[in-house]
Amino acid sequence: MNDWLGCDGSGNEPREIENIPMARRALLGGALASLVWWARGKTALAGVALAPPPRQIERDILVVIFMRGGADGLNLIVPHGDDDYHKNRPTIGVAAPKNKIKNAKDRALDLDGFFGFHPALEPLKPFYDKGKLALVQACGSFDQSRSHFEAMALMEHGQGSTPGGLSGGWLARHLSSAPGHNDSPLRAVALSNIMPESLRGATSATALNSLDDFRLILPGAGSKEKAENERAQQNAQRARQILSSLYEGDDAVAHAGRETLAVLDSLRRLDPKNYKPAHAAQYPDSEIGRGLRQVACLIKGDVGLEAACLDHRGPFLWDTHVAQNNLLPAQAADLAKGMAAFAQDLGNELQNVTIIAMTEFGRRAAENSGFGTDHGRAGVMFLLGGGIKGGKVYTKWPGLSPDDLEAPGDLKVTVDYRDILGEIVAKRLKNENVKAIFPGHESKFWGVTA
Amino acid sequence: MKISRRDWLKMGGASGGALLLGGCSKVVQRVTAPHLEAPFSPPAHSDPIVRLLNRVAFGAAPGDVARVAKLGAEKYVDEQLNPDGADEWILLARLRGVEVFETGAIEMRDTHVEPMLRGLQQAAILRAVYSRHQLQERMVDFWTNHFNIYARKGDGTYFLPTEQTKVLRPHALGKFPELLKASAHSPAMLSYLDNNVNQKGRANENYARELMELHTLGVHGGYSQKDVQEVARCFTGWTVENRFLRRKGFYRFDESKHDNGEKTVLGHKIPAKGGEKDAEMVLDILVRHPNTAKYISEKLCRYFLGESAGNWPQKTAQIYLQTGGDIKAMLRPLLLSDELKNGPPVIKRPFDFLVSSLRALGADTDGGQALQEHLRQMGQPLHLWPMPDGYPDRTQAWTGSLLARWNFAIALTHGAIKNTSLNLPDLIEKRDATATLTEIILGHCAGEKPDLIRTITKNLHGIKDEKSVKSIAAMLLCTPEFQWR
Repeated sequence: MNDWLGCDGSGNEPREIENIPMARRALLGGALASLVWWARGKTALAGVALAPPPRQIERDILVVIFMRGGADGLNLIVPHGDDDYHKNRPTIGVAAPKNKIKNAKDRALDLDGFFGFHPALEPLKPFYDKGKLALVQACGSFDQSRSHFEAMALMEHGQGSTPGGLSGGWLARHLSSAPGHNDSPLRAVALSNIMPESLRGATSATALNSLDDFRLILPGAGSKEKAENERAQQNAQRARQILSSLYEGDDAVAHAGRETLAVLDSLRRLDPKNYKPAHAAQYPDSEIGRGLRQVACLIKGDVGLEAACLDHRGPFLWDTHVAQNNLLPAQAADLAKGMAAFAQDLGNELQNVTIIAMTEFGRRAAENSGFGTDHGRAGVMFLLGGGIKGGKVYTKWPGLSPDDLEAPGDLKVTVDYRDILGEIVAKRLKNENVKAIFPGHESKFWGVTA
Repeated sequence: MKISRRDWLKMGGASGGALLLGGCSKVVQRVTAPHLEAPFSPPAHSDPIVRLLNRVAFGAAPGDVARVAKLGAEKYVDEQLNPDGADEWILLARLRGVEVFETGAIEMRDTHVEPMLRGLQQAAILRAVYSRHQLQERMVDFWTNHFNIYARKGDGTYFLPTEQTKVLRPHALGKFPELLKASAHSPAMLSYLDNNVNQKGRANENYARELMELHTLGVHGGYSQKDVQEVARCFTGWTVENRFLRRKGFYRFDESKHDNGEKTVLGHKIPAKGGEKDAEMVLDILVRHPNTAKYISEKLCRYFLGESAGNWPQKTAQIYLQTGGDIKAMLRPLLLSDELKNGPPVIKRPFDFLVSSLRALGADTDGGQALQEHLRQMGQPLHLWPMPDGYPDRTQAWTGSLLARWNFAIALTHGAIKNTSLNLPDLIEKRDATATLTEIILGHCAGEKPDLIRTITKNLHGIKDEKSVKSIAAMLLCTPEFQWR
């Protein structure tokens, strides 16, 4: 009952295929052949002789997590050694590690005698101790607007402070200028329905809402009856062929459609639904947990992934204008559990992976009347990976006394976010074109990479 | 030479035994050309009536093209600008029991959030699909995003029904200053942007900032951080009733929380002891500001004309200033402009795509959960955009989720969406299926695009039974052309 354009499930080519122009057929043949390469000889099609091109890329796989909403760096990486911290935050401040009045579970976890983790970041502590996790404090851009959207756009475009000018994203510029070549349709992915600005202009970037569902679903798909299920799959293949002939145009949608079809082909041999994380890693059942799990699946599937972008909104968003202490612990725990599970799952493969968690700005030093914090300036960055020189908080601490703060009471930015990204691009992604990726900026490296 | 993926696919095809033909060379050239920006030369719809219906309405429903052709563009636009009289009975019938919108927010707090949210989404879908007041619904879509509220923050879901009925619907085609005033007093907005806890001492800046950045002046609208703080002070005490034995969930001014000192906003002095009047003065300053005229006009033009709107933003801003922000007056010339008729098309957001598909094929739908799940997969679950800027209107934001659109098209045409059905044979009558469906789905434009017709007929040649009609309809909804309006 589920015939799709004359495909009767017999496995015979439907007669209409004859009408597809020859060029199309060549292309379709190519699409099939391409599977062979991705599968590295593991599939039934392995009989077709086709040598895989040599792996040319010796750069890290980059995973960028954007904490949307302006994460409060001062309560995540707590400057407990600064007396002014608790003066600014009498109610919502995180207790110092040595505070004897508060419960141990409510105290900061000391990192270096001056800074401490929010207790909810505990899952990341082992990676800091092992030297895999570096933290950057008082980090940010020179955006003065304190607008989420302005500050995010600026960072994702790789700019300093002037709005406008650059239309493409910094990751897109990295991908187009990186040495070597990688034609995988899964070279850059966003685990989201909406493409982030950092990938704007990337010629091959795909938004994958969910890897599990990334397939064409024809009537009968998932049926318990084997024959019906098979027919649905054949029909999906047929639909794919028709789609590729409809998507030959030159507009933005046609271009994106071709990418989508190529990704469908590449993903066919992965089985993300039945993906089993290694080393007993337990991902949280949250957007970030599911997202990172899928990135791990892509990394292990060796599909040519080079950059993955994820948004971290968390259960409550990072925009904690009110009742911050009711929101931040769950936010921080979600992120920390997700990142820790990911690193654990990757095991030795973490050696060639760099994870950055960043945010558009930090928050006001002083708490407000609703026990929250308003938009501020400097924030924090988390760097996790085998090639990261971790176990250290990188910063030039600007201080929190009234004289040290920038009007109207914000932590000053002393680490330009482009310095950190630039170093990772140069050292871990092996792309020397840092100046072209962050135009108008002379990157100063802080030594965050090993 | 750098080899692109597509070239590589073709080389694979060649070595796999197929022929590598000259016909590919065009493609090769295009893909290897280095470009940072995604290519943008969308196909144009050439039929002005189809175009008009795509912009003023959520696409053409059966019979619409003929009706507008008879009426003429001007009369149609005027009719839509002045929504009058009862709506379609089918809509009113289906909305019964769904829109429990007259009930106060707090009375509904015993309801579970999920069914309420489903009801809200359902009402929005039903109205967009079936309302005869299509422009009204388009503007509700526009303002719902302009004054975005995230249903899952706090009591958002409970406040959203009144946000729709008391704030957005009555003013969608009214005067912007009235709309803004209603929004500033709205419990949904007061709680979404935390003004309900904004009080003297340390003011909460959240609403003050977004009021200027997103609702009125725009981020480059000439306000400073100091202005944000001063506006926040003016709004101290604007809150939502939450006291014991009071009718909760309504706007209330709490004098005791108000900062009664003197303030300066955008150079205007706001005298001390103004009480509730302080923020009203702020709203007045903002709606009269030329940058508000500019910002609102730019956004309206982007919604109706896309990213290349010529000098329409300036013209529209002039009308705003002359008419005191009369939305109808701003829209009329825009909707009848040559740019709308001839300019490049605008990307359909998933909601546009879903509603226009249902309209084109005359679907019978309850707008319920199964349909909403498709909308979520496509990336636009209604009332669930967390940030205050609303769903993006950039093209690139939406090109990554085509697969979900294709799956929706297949499911819709094959009757695989619960409580949503089509009657394709009725639609086609006894005419040629491909030609008829192409006309219904893509408009007359398809007749002037022989390439597309050729592609479709070549692939779908010779199939005449009912099953293939479904497939043809699915593929037409999947075309790149149908993703633009």
